[in-house]
Amino acid sequence: MTPRVPSAIAFRGLASLEVFNRRKSKKMVLKTELCRFSGAKIYPGKGIRFVRSDSQVFLFANSKCKRYFHNRLKPAKLTWTAMYRKQHKKDIHAEAVKKRRRATKKPYSRSIVGATLEVIQKKRTEKPEVRDAAREAALREIKERIKKTKDEKKAKKAEVVAKTQKTQTKGGAPKAAKGPKLGGGGKR
Amino acid sequence: MIQPQTLLNVADNSGARELMCIRIIGAGNRRYAHIGDVIVAVIKEAVPNMPLERSEIIRAVIVRTCKELKRDNGMIIRYDDNAAVVIDQGGNPKGTRVFGAIARELRQLNFTKIVSLAPEVL
Repeated sequence: MTPRVPSAIAFRGLASLEVFNRRKSKKMVLKTELCRFSGAKIYPGKGIRFVRSDSQVFLFANSKCKRYFHNRLKPAKLTWTAMYRKQHKKDIHAEAVKKRRRATKKPYSRSIVGATLEVIQKKRTEKPEVRDAAREAALREIKERIKKTKDEKKAKKAEVVAKTQKTQTKGGAPKAAKGPKLGGGGKR
Repeated sequence: MIQPQTLLNVADNSGARELMCIRIIGAGNRRYAHIGDVIVAVIKEAVPNMPLERSEIIRAVIVRTCKELKRDNGMIIRYDDNAAVVIDQGGNPKGTRVFGAIARELRQLNFTKIVSLAPEVL
């Protein structure tokens, strides 16, 4: 049964008819299966299929696998089989590296007690310079506050000292005697 | 590769258990029978109280062989046992059920009833 040749090809001649036929020919389906014993790929047209009496189907890549199966050897004990390699964790590092890629966590937008959604978003979108300026301003404020309290404390201390000095002028000699001795001890 | 004196399992519920091949139906002096060939067999072992009895001569079609079946696409299938289904002169199975896997070749050889009864066609 000859296929209907389109007029365009009929015009051009026989050479293009070959191309036309080749393109029309079916492509072979290439689905590889896996050997039940060794785990190797079985291409179409290769390998042996064994149907056991319980209707279970076994595929073997070659007569080596088939022979070992029938001799009741265990694939897990033979170094060259896929089962052995899986059991002894060979080549598993490449797979593990691939799997490590996970999506990064995105910041979750939700209002909470203490800060509504707008406040959170505003804070998130603040520029670093603005943030630094704010931080500096805060620090300066704190420093000034500390300084103020220190000054106050100093003033208070000075007052107290002045008061005690007035009352303890008689007891000033032993204090003075102690003073230089201590200093001398320190100098050595 | 079934030849006379070969014992075969019976893959249906016709009443026979084991058959022994006597002759291969087909061209003259054929040596061996494969899947899809009809053979003349004698019943060596039968289930009691069934229509078929021991030492009855019947025809059967081979459905499974230990010898590999080679297909045109390169696939090779090997079963675990030799088995046949008891048929009558017209090619219809005598039993009502078929057990085990059946080869797809039987459909092309017009044993469609057996293929339709099969639990698995490989």
